[in-house]
Parts: sequence; structure tokens; C-alpha cells
Amino acid sequence: MTAMTRAWSRVSIVGKAILIGVPALIVVSIAAVVGLVILGPAALDFLAANLPLVRFVVAVTAILLMTVPSAFLIIYMEMKVIALMNLRIGPDRVGPYGSLLSVIHGLKVLMKEDFTPTGADPIVFTWAPVVVYMAAVFSLLVIPFAPGLFGQDLNVGLLYFFAMGGLTVVGLLMGGWSSFNKYSLLGGLRSAAQVVSYEIPLTLSVVGVILLAGTMSVNGIVLAQSGSVLDWFIFKQPLAALIFFIAATAEANRTPFDLTEADSEIVAGFATEYSGMRFGFFFFAEYVNVFIVSAIFVSLFFGGWTSPFDWPFPVALALDPGSLGIGLLLLLAVVPVVGTLVLGAPFWLARPDRPTWEALVLGFIAFNLVAVAVILGWAFISFDWAIGLAWFMLKTYLFVFTFVWMRGTLPRVRIDQLMGFAWKWLLPAALLNLFVTAAAIVVVAR
Amino acid sequence: MDPALRRRLEGRLGDRMTGPVRQRHDETEIRIGPADVPEVLRALYDEPDLRFRYLADLAGVDTGTAMQVVYHLWSDTTPDWLRVIADGLDRDAPRVPSITFLWKGAEWMEREAFDMFGIVFEGNRDLRRIYMPPDYRSFPLRKDFFLPDDAARSPGAGIRQMERSHSPRDATSTTLVRRSKAG
Amino acid sequence: MTTRPEAPLPFDIPAHPSNDDPRVTLEEQLGVWEAVPPFPPQTEREAEFYTLRDGEMLINIGPHHPSTHGVLRVVMKINGEQVVDLDPVLGYLHRGVEKIAENADYHQTISHLDPLEYVASLFCEWPAVIAYEKLLDCTVPRRAEYIRVLSGELLRISSHALALGFHALDLGGLTPILYSFIERDEIVEMLAALTGQRMLFNYFRIGGVNGDLNHEFMSRLGDWMSRAVGQVEANMTLLNENEIFVRRNRGLGTMDRETALRMCWSGPNLRATGVPFDLRRAHPYSVYPELDFDIPTREEGDALARFLLRIDEVKQSLRIIDQCLHQMPDGPVMAKLPRLLRPRPGRAFAAIESPRGEYGVYAISDGTDQPFRFRIHDPSFLHLQAFNLLMPGNLIADWMALNASLDPIMGGVDK
Repeated sequence: MTAMTRAWSRVSIVGKAILIGVPALIVVSIAAVVGLVILGPAALDFLAANLPLVRFVVAVTAILLMTVPSAFLIIYMEMKVIALMNLRIGPDRVGPYGSLLSVIHGLKVLMKEDFTPTGADPIVFTWAPVVVYMAAVFSLLVIPFAPGLFGQDLNVGLLYFFAMGGLTVVGLLMGGWSSFNKYSLLGGLRSAAQVVSYEIPLTLSVVGVILLAGTMSVNGIVLAQSGSVLDWFIFKQPLAALIFFIAATAEANRTPFDLTEADSEIVAGFATEYSGMRFGFFFFAEYVNVFIVSAIFVSLFFGGWTSPFDWPFPVALALDPGSLGIGLLLLLAVVPVVGTLVLGAPFWLARPDRPTWEALVLGFIAFNLVAVAVILGWAFISFDWAIGLAWFMLKTYLFVFTFVWMRGTLPRVRIDQLMGFAWKWLLPAALLNLFVTAAAIVVVAR
Repeated sequence: MDPALRRRLEGRLGDRMTGPVRQRHDETEIRIGPADVPEVLRALYDEPDLRFRYLADLAGVDTGTAMQVVYHLWSDTTPDWLRVIADGLDRDAPRVPSITFLWKGAEWMEREAFDMFGIVFEGNRDLRRIYMPPDYRSFPLRKDFFLPDDAARSPGAGIRQMERSHSPRDATSTTLVRRSKAG
Repeated sequence: MTTRPEAPLPFDIPAHPSNDDPRVTLEEQLGVWEAVPPFPPQTEREAEFYTLRDGEMLINIGPHHPSTHGVLRVVMKINGEQVVDLDPVLGYLHRGVEKIAENADYHQTISHLDPLEYVASLFCEWPAVIAYEKLLDCTVPRRAEYIRVLSGELLRISSHALALGFHALDLGGLTPILYSFIERDEIVEMLAALTGQRMLFNYFRIGGVNGDLNHEFMSRLGDWMSRAVGQVEANMTLLNENEIFVRRNRGLGTMDRETALRMCWSGPNLRATGVPFDLRRAHPYSVYPELDFDIPTREEGDALARFLLRIDEVKQSLRIIDQCLHQMPDGPVMAKLPRLLRPRPGRAFAAIESPRGEYGVYAISDGTDQPFRFRIHDPSFLHLQAFNLLMPGNLIADWMALNASLDPIMGGVDK
């Protein structure tokens, strides 16, 4: 055994990776082939019979996988955009222009010590971040990203969405109470009061939209706006949009309503005692919340995935790769090599002292970028969901930018001013909007 | 240097002052006994031709033989600072009446003088230590104060961990782990 | 230092029984401490403060806190979100500067004073050098006085910019502080060219200043002055008319004239209540009698008035700097004094107008080369005293705004 240990220690890192990876890969492939051969047909029959279930599972997985990268992107955007507004540079060391910062932050929170403070209730303390994060993620189920691209088309989708928003309160209160810390308690109570107060104008302001669209399903509301730009509900319900935006800022605990995590007042509010991945959950949940709130705002008032203007040129380009037959295999084998060589040549010629392998690597990277761009462009013009998705993301990130912009610009309101604003101004305004909309509908229908 | 001020002070407070009025550069100085502090300062505050309404500083001084409390005042009637020295406080038990009835802001300045010198201001509602921890036992700015290096031999010895002697032969049973009431 | 190992306790103050009193129980199971009230309370005020009524709780703000402007611990008695009473606990930054100064030469004491009001450290050195010059009966050359005023006013602008930036930061606005720091950085670089240090300058000397104006300082100053007037205001007025900011600050911590004078307030905090008391005009020192500037005051006395007043003061400081540059006389920058200073035995008090208020030094000399007593009077110390008057009835979030508007510097408060 000692000979083997000594030999093992003399192998380099790369060698160790290869020595472990290759046999593991072989075993996994054999197991996969055997599994497919034995279980394949039965599994396929089962899946074909339960297509909606399959669709649901795939959608949910996609959504879950999507939350973390979008949170990463929003975190990076917030840091960079606020920094540029502050006339500073922001992150610019980790990756080009600091873009890998969020990844590093994610790794960092994973590597921190995981503890529970003395006196804290361990179960509640552990589950609080989970509840907050899951409440955020559950809301993504009903958002239509593109025609046909949604988790589940609940016909009470909007109600479900607001219910999930209210679930965050539970998580925040759990976090605040269980931390055994007066600051956290204050933060948790403040947040509960805030979210609960702003739920009401939030839900009331969209009732007008529901009346106009005739359905509570978010997909249905987007479809109701899919005629032209002027069908967008922002033009028919401007006051509701304004109220919704303000109330949504409060729901997402963003400046100017970020007293729950006012870091110059009560340190980190309910999250004071959290560190490591627990805090990471709160952190990501907040940014996913920002995304969700922007997404719903766009879906309800700005037409979701509908584009404001038509493409001037014909959209469909019927290109069926399968018709190429064997030629497809030849293409897949030849094009990468040729592309790498062709795109690497300029790098190789420009600087004679560059080693050839480096030029080839750069060419390969360039080829990959070109290939991705081509595929995306083809998807964009062939699949209508690609266009829809692109428009949706563009509009959503515009409003995410607006949230970030508000954070960099505005100071914080005080809790009593916040509650006063919600109950004395937003609620009557939302009611007014509702009455006027209902009256208008009755009048127009007559 | 304001001779008019000197005349006004001598006229009004002549019987309270324990020494001549001294003037140098832009300061005028009078000395009084500690018991006269409230009346003198009230007179300086209230008299229409004195009007020393602004208390610039309240300091304690340890002269080695006695303690003093020094008040610096400003008035719009004179270009000079007025220094009122309440002299002759006993070094071992210094007591002086408080002037918080005139200036509420003197409360913390008197707390500081108490903390640094041990001067007790009678009438101050909140006479406790302000800079040092509440269980500190000596008064740092006195002339017989020891630096913490010699603190094991100073009057403040024994309370702070750092001020205790740490050699094994000084170990007693109380330096062992303190038990809680439960255990 | 005399050592008398067997000296009896001159004065028996009973020790605070937190460690030894058997009536205080340590919750071993949880291992957590409350903000321990002194038990028994030593003064009337402590007894009043630490008696909790129904629904009240004690919460510690600080000493480790992002917005306490240093290490300040405030024990707040709150009822929900509303503050019922406050007890500031000082001493976390107490360095014993007065005691150290008794063991140092007169020249050495100047550099010990810088870290007191570290944001505006020239103003800490200034009263000390004035007091020593009175004790030595020496006159400072006029050029040195003008340089002192020039560097002082530059530092005043920088300090006010910092105060306003931190005010905005404590309220949640992330951007104005960085704009203010543009100004502060430029000024600090200028002063670094002049004094050699960016922050704790150690520039004033007894009898003058350490070095004459140099080319780099003048070129930086010229560049800055050519665009200063509009830009300084623009950088510091980002939040003036922001609705949220104004509503947070208007009516907060309103102090009236009489109470402010009774609390021995000074500086911008006092002038915001309407009292036009500025030591540069009330008790002129240096060459201020020859300079033409106004004393801005405001009537309301709330946090917004203090904020706006600091901006007004910056405009006046710019006027003073302009006049200094035009009226700068030639001559030496340091009076001729012996190396080893032995002033006459006596007492001297000097006070100047720092960006926070009246900064005073009372020095007693006994004829040796070390001061006998060195007393520092700091304005922020007295501003903090007013928390008990201004806070009750407001919310916790208002404390941050109030603290930022009073602009204390804990280095000076704790000495």
C-alpha cells in the first residue's frame, strides 16, 4: 500500500484528475448505456404518457437553474452601476471588468463558517433563509418569459404570485425573531410591517389590469396585450402602474424602502446574525425578488414578451438541419476545425512571437463565440419564443436597472413615513384607480 | 486687557475674590473660594453689565497642594476671556457646588472633572464616570496617579485584569474560574 | 512620577458590583449579557434611566456601528421603535491625551493633539499654539498667520464636505459622500503638498508654521479655486431638495436659542438655532479682523438647518481663502524662539472656531519645559450631551440622522 501512496503523491494534479476522471467517465457511460438499453423504452412510454408532468419538471428545473445566474448578474450590475453613479470604478479585478465578481461572492459565502448564535432557535434560524428564498423562487412559476415558455399557466396566477410575495414576510419574521438579537428583532418587525402594508396597494392596483384582461392568469394578461404597442396596459392604467412600481419597491425591500436591511441603522436588520450560505440565501433572495418584481411589472403593464414594433423583414427562415442527413455529421466534424484555423490565423500572423498553440486556443474561443452568435441569431429569427424571450429580458432588465438606479440615488425613508405613505396615499390612490377602471369598463361596454 | 472689566469685577465681586484681578493678554482672571461658586457665577450671568452668558470651559486642575476648578466665560460686554478659578479645594476630598442650574451643559464637563480628579460637584444629578469604566477606582489626572505599568501598586489595582499581578505566588483562590450561581 | 505603593485610597467610591455582586446573575445557560445596568445605580439619573417601565427595552447602538462617527455607545431605552430616553456612554477612544501632554515637551504636545479631531486636525493644533504663544509672549509673523488662516479655511471646507457626505450616507444615500470626497481629496492633496501629511498634519508650530507655501501647493490651489465655487456647491447640494431627505431632516432635533446656550453649544449647531456666535468675530484671533466675511445663521434649529448652514459656511470660507491669497504678505513664517521652551509660569486659554464649534485649550505652565496642566475643550462633547433633550419621542432611525447632523468626532469627545 505504501508504494501506491508514494506513487500517488508523485503524480501531478492534472494526472490525478485524469486518473480519477477517465475511469469514472467510462463507468458512468457503461452504466448509462446499460440503463438506457434496459429501461429506455419503458421510461419513454411513461414520459410520453405524462407529458405535462415532464414539461412541469423541466420547467421547474430550468427556473431553479435560472435564478442563481440571474441573481449573479443583478448583483454584479448593482455593484457596477452604483459604482459608476458614484464616480468610482467598482469591481474590475475579477474577470474582465469585474464580471466574475458574483461567482467569487457565491464561492465566498459557501466557504464561510456556518454557525448558529447562542440563544438562537436552531430550527427556525436555519429555515428562515430557506423560506425567503423559496418564496422568491416559487413566484417564478407563473411568469411568462416567452410565448409558451412559462412554468405553469395557473388561472389564478396573479393571486398565487402575491401569495408567494406574502410568504417572504414569514421568512423575514422567522429570521428576525430567531436571531436572539434586538437589532434583528427590530429589523424583522419593521419588514413585516412594511411588506404587509404595501401588499394591499400592490394587489389593489392590479385589479384594474385583471378587469381589463378578464383573467388572473399572467399568461392571459400578456396575451391580452399582444395586439400592438397601444394595447399595453401602461397606457390604459398609468396610475396603477405607478402605484404598483412603488409598492413593488417596498415589497422587494429596495431603497428607498430598505429599512429592513438599512445598513447604517440596524447593521443588517434581520440578517445581522447570519453568515455564510445562510446570508447568501437572503442575499440571493433579495436579488431574485428584484428580478421577479421587474418581470411581473413588465408582464402586467408592458406587454411581457410582446415586441413594440414588427420586424421589418420576413421572420421565418425554414432551416431544418435534419434534412442534411449525413452531411450534418461532416459539417460538425469539419467546421470547428476549419473555423478555428481560419479565426486563429490573424492572431498567429499579427504577432510572430506568439506560440502557435496560443493562437489556436484564441481561434477556438473566437470560433465558439461566432458559433454561439450564429445559433442565437438563427434561433432569434426562427423561433418566435426566442424573440419573445429577448424582448422580455430586455424590458425586465431595464426595470432592474431602474431599481438599481434608485438605490444609488435616493436616501431611505423612516418607518412611520413609509407606513403613512402606504396607508394614506397609495391605498386611496389604488382604490380610486379601481373605481375609475370599473366605471370605465361598464360605460364602454354599454 | 480690559481695565473697565477689572473695575466692574472689583466693584461687584470684590468681597468674594480671594486675590487680585489678574490680566494678561486677552484674559482676565479672578480667584474665589469653592463655596462662593454658585453666587459668583450667577452674578456674572445675571448682572446687566457683566452678562457672562457663555461658558467656554470647565476644567479641573490639581496643583499638587490643592485642587482647583477653573471656569472660562465669555461675554459680549468685554473683549477679554474671564477665568474664574475656584481655588483651595482639599486634595483628599474635593467638593464644589455644581453650576448645572445655570448651564445644563456643564453636567458632562463636571462629570469629566469628577472622573479625572475625583472632584465631587454637589447638585449634579448625574455624577458618575464618563471616560473610565464605572468600576474604576482611581482618578487619572491627579498628580499621584500611577500609569498602568505600575498599576499593581496603584489605588486602581485589582479590578482590571491587566492591573493585577500575574506571578504564580500571588495566585489566590479568587483567581480561579468563577462559578455561576447555578453550578 | 512619584510612586507610593502604600498610598491609601484617597476617596472610597464603591466599586461597580457587576462582577462581584452576588445579586447579579450570569445566565450561564445562554452565556449572553444584557446591557448591564449598574446595580445599584450610582446617581439619580442612572436610577431614572435604568428603570424600565412596561413595554420598554434597552438596546445598544454601538460602539461597533456604521454610523456612530467613531466609537460611541448609546444605550437607548425604546418602546417599540420610539426612543424614550438615551444614555451615551463615552470613553471607548479615551487615550489620555491630557495626561500624556503633562509628560511631553511643548513642541511634542502639538502632535499629540492632531488625532483628537482627526478630520480637521489643524484646528486642534491652533488653540494650543495660541496659548503657548501667550505664555511665551511671542508674536507670530503675519505671513504665518495668513498661512494658518488659509490652511484652516481649506480644512474647514473639507471637513464640512465630509460631514455632509456622512449625513447623507447615514440616511441611506450612497452617492453624495463620494461627491463630497472629491472635494475633500483635492483639498487633502493640497495640504499634503503643503504640510507633508494628508490627514494628521502636525503643521502649526509655536511661533508660526512649519514651512512656507510651495509651488505645488499654489498650483493645486490655483487649479482648484478656478473651478471651486460652482463645483463645491454642486457636489454638496445633491440632496438639498430631495423630498425624502428633507422630510427626514426637517423638524428633527429642533433646538431653540436659549437651550442651546445653556447646553454650551457652539459652532454651526449653535448658529443654526439663530445665535450669531462665531469665535472668529466674537473673540477674534489671528488675522480674522482683517478679513471680510459674514456669519451665516439660520433660524429653524433643526437638522435641515444645520445641513444647509454648513453649505453656507463653505461659501464664506471660499471668500476668506480668496482674500488670504490676495492679501498674503511676505516675510518669515516662523518666529525666532529657542529650541527648548521654558515659558513663564502662568496660565493661558485660547479658543478658536473649528468646523464643529469652539475648540479650546487651557494650558498651565510651571516654568519647566513640560506643561503642568493641559486641558482640551472639545465642542462635540457638549453637542452629544443634547441627545437626552432632543431624542425622546423620535424613532431610532432619527437618531442616526440627528447624530450625523450634529457632526461629532469621537476622537475629540473622548480625548
